[in-house]
Formats: sequence, structure tokens, C-alpha cells
Amino acid sequence: MLPRDQTAIVGIGWTAFSRNSGASTKSLAAEASFKAIADAGLAPRDVDGVMSWYYKSSDGVSPVELGAAMGLDCPFELYVNAGGHWMCGAVTAAASLVASGVCKHVLLYVARNGYSEGRGRRAAESNLGVGPDQFRTPFGEHLPATTFAMPATAHMARFGTTTLDFAHLAVTQRQHAALNPKALMRKPITIADHQSSRWISYPYRLLDCCQQTDGGVAIVITSAERARDLRHAPVYIMAGVAGEGETSALWETNGVNLAPRLYGAAGVTPADVSFAELYDPFTAMCMLHMEDFGLVPKGEVGAWVTAGKNGLDGETPVNTHGGLLNEAHMIALNHVVEAVQQLRPGGVIDDLCAGPHTYDRNVCRQVRDPEIALLCGEAGGSAMLLRK
Amino acid sequence: MRELAKPAPVPDADTRPFWEACRAGELRAQRCTHCGRFRWPPQGFCPGCYAWEHTWERLAGRGTVTSFSVVHHSAVPSFKDDLPYVVALITLDGTDDRVTLTSNVVDCPWEEVRVGMPVEVVFRAIAAEATLPQFRPARSASSP
Repeated sequence: MLPRDQTAIVGIGWTAFSRNSGASTKSLAAEASFKAIADAGLAPRDVDGVMSWYYKSSDGVSPVELGAAMGLDCPFELYVNAGGHWMCGAVTAAASLVASGVCKHVLLYVARNGYSEGRGRRAAESNLGVGPDQFRTPFGEHLPATTFAMPATAHMARFGTTTLDFAHLAVTQRQHAALNPKALMRKPITIADHQSSRWISYPYRLLDCCQQTDGGVAIVITSAERARDLRHAPVYIMAGVAGEGETSALWETNGVNLAPRLYGAAGVTPADVSFAELYDPFTAMCMLHMEDFGLVPKGEVGAWVTAGKNGLDGETPVNTHGGLLNEAHMIALNHVVEAVQQLRPGGVIDDLCAGPHTYDRNVCRQVRDPEIALLCGEAGGSAMLLRK
Repeated sequence: MRELAKPAPVPDADTRPFWEACRAGELRAQRCTHCGRFRWPPQGFCPGCYAWEHTWERLAGRGTVTSFSVVHHSAVPSFKDDLPYVVALITLDGTDDRVTLTSNVVDCPWEEVRVGMPVEVVFRAIAAEATLPQFRPARSASSP
């Protein structure tokens, strides 16, 4: 178990998010990393661990290349093929290197030209029937929207969840994104807009799906002790878990396996969670995560999001930056950046408030007095709790 | 630009018996000789008891749709003429719910596909070396 509160996130950085960065992934990674390192009050050569991860085939600069480009002195490097499941596992692995004393300051980044370069790459992968894909691609399972439709359709059949429920989540998260200038999708949408958007892969319509993005995000992790001397108040890692097991049904994610371990390690319950940043490539996946990490009882998430309980002033605000659905697809390392912003004493620095936070939801996306944030990766493959 | 080749499965040492059975018009799945557990996807050893000995049991070819998606959008040229088509998870009868294939539901309007629908296998050759097991609504009480 990761020792509780002994590690902290001390630096965050990001590039502009776009559909055509015009920059190499090395430049995107470096820009985000330099910003995160400076945000921490450190210098690049203070970094002695560099980590990133990807899905299926590397689509960006590796830690070996980035470490060399930055002239680092023998940093510990880790590059994991794991996809969105690994999001909180990446942070937990970085924190473990710090807690064990292997590293002092670990840089964790995601940088990708997921839109401008990703489409051709994904189309080429769709034509390969090798390994696990021999049982998927020949049958036309190419889109993540098709893969992750399966839990959604099963949830609908079991609990009566509808695509109208999905619409409420889409509208609420877009409202959050409207208060986030770095979000790609900020124009307000209505329930009718969602319901009339075209089908991509039933039960998902266009407005249920996130889009691929060009950009970079980075964070710096160090020990709680060192963190107290750095520029910002530390955001502590209470607990982090990763790893997949069996679930009893398709409408459950691996979150049902990890949630008891996560809350047990942190010594808190779901009722203690102030807000959550949950992996949301598709509306319904975010809804399953809400249930499986205990924000709402199983089968009741449709009514919960319809009542707006995931809104900024709701019972548990979820995806306060707009999420993958609206901000950017940085394999949800951008969710970590948002959680850190929300938990710092001054709160988020890039909403539309001029001056102190007003909690006026026309300009302000800061959650009121947050203490603890819940985060999870795709299909509940990893999760963590952060606190101020 | 028609008759674009679809991606064909590339069998490996673990999966070859499955695909060869499909070419012969049979649906087969691995079963542990030691503990009797069915498993999917194909692999050398039993995930339950770790025994390597196994048989390739012939199945009746019937199953149930446990979930599905209707694909309306594709960036893959060889699938564009098929849109919309149904990708489904089919849990096979006689496997203690241990074998769930990703496949297609065919011979059925996509609007009529439901979770819980009983289906039966139909084999479709997509290349000289590749035959896919697909599923249609079950028509009879006897094995196809």
C-alpha cells in the first residue's frame, strides 16, 4: 500500500489543447513539463524520474527521449503500455518511486497529437487482426465507442438507464467546460442537441463521445517533506490503487474491486469525497464510475445526473473542467491537473473569475471548500484520492 | 473501389484450433481437462487451476446476446458499406458463462436486437483462410 499522505503533487503544467498543434510531441511534452517544473519551484535538472504511458503503440515522445532532450542526469525512466486504465496507476507508480527513495522528483507527462496524427494511425490499427484484436477487428469492433458501448447497453437493459440520462451528463459537463478557457468544447448544448446528434455507435451519439486532442500535460510528484518547501501548498496523495480483476456483470466496472481497497487505504468513505474527476471518454462510462466508486448506489446514476447532483453545486461535483468529453483527451492526466487546481488554497487559476472566486456559475468553476478529490482511470482500472 | 479486404484474424499458437474449427463449420472452446473449466480467450493454461491439459470441446453453437452496439460510423473503408451493423457480446451455451465472444448479429434488423436475445451461429468465410462465427436470432430448438 502506498504510505498515506507521504507524497504530494507539487507542480502542474499544460500546453494549449487543439486539433492541430503544429508541434512535435517532444515539444509538447517539454512545454508542459517545463511549466510543471517551474510551477513547483524546481529546475529541470532537479528531476530524477521521468514517466509516461500510452495505449497500444507509442504515439508520443518516450521518457528516454525526453530525458535526453532535457539533458537530465540518469533519470529513472518508465513508459507503460496501458491506456486510460492506467491513469491513477501512473501517479501511484511515480509516488511509489518517491516514497521508496528511488527518486526525489518525478515528472509524469502525456503529450500527443491525438487528433492531427492519431486518425491515420488508428485506422491502420483497425486493419490488423493480430493478438487480442483477432477477436475484435474482423467483426468491426474498431471504435472505442463500440467497445465501451457494451457496459452502457448492459446497464440500460439491467437498470432502465436511458440515453436521455446520458444527455444530462453531457449538458452538465459542457456547462463546466464553458467556465474553462482551455477546454476545446465550450459552446453550451441542450438536451435536445444531444438527443438529435448523430449516432456514432449505439447507445452513443456524437455528444456522448470525447474527441482526440493535440496537446501536452505534466505534473511533478515529490515527498510530502520536500513539498513543504516548494512554491505551492502540496496536494497530498492519500491513496492510489491499480489493477484489474473479474466483475460479476457487464454493467459493473473494475471500480467495484478497487473502491474498497482505495477507501480502506485512505481511511475515508465515499461520503468524504468533495468532488471527483472520473475517466469519461463516453458519458455512460463516467456514470458507471460514479456508481462503482460509491458516489451513488448501483443502478441509480441516471436519476442522479438528471437531478444535476454532479454539477458544481451538486452533491458531488464531477469533472469540473468539462472532462475528456470537453476539455481534452490527455488520457486524463488533465483530470489530475484539474483536481490539483481545485485543491490548492487559491483554487483554480483559469476560470473566468477576475479576482477571488465568486461561485457565480456564469464565471466560476471553483468547487466550494473542497477537501478530498476522487479520481479514476478507464473502466475503474486505477483510482486515487487526493487531499489538500 | 469495392471488395476492399476486411481485416482477417491472424491465428497464433493458442488460437489456431479455434479458427480451424470455424473453417470446418464447428464452434469449439477450450476446456480444462483437470478441473473442467471453460476459458476464453484461448490460452495455454487454465486460469483457475493452472493445468495445461485441455480439450477443444465442440459447442452447440447457441448463445445469448449479453450486450451490443450498433455501429453507425466507421473510418475503416472495408466496413463502410455494412453500416449500420451490430457488434455484440455473445455468451455461449454450455460453457458455464465462461465463454463470451465478440461477434456480429446478422439476419436481423438492428432495431430488433435486444440484450437477452437467443442466437445461433452462422459461419461466414471472409477469405480463403478465414471464417468468422457470426450469430442470427435462434430459429429452432435443435442445434444448427
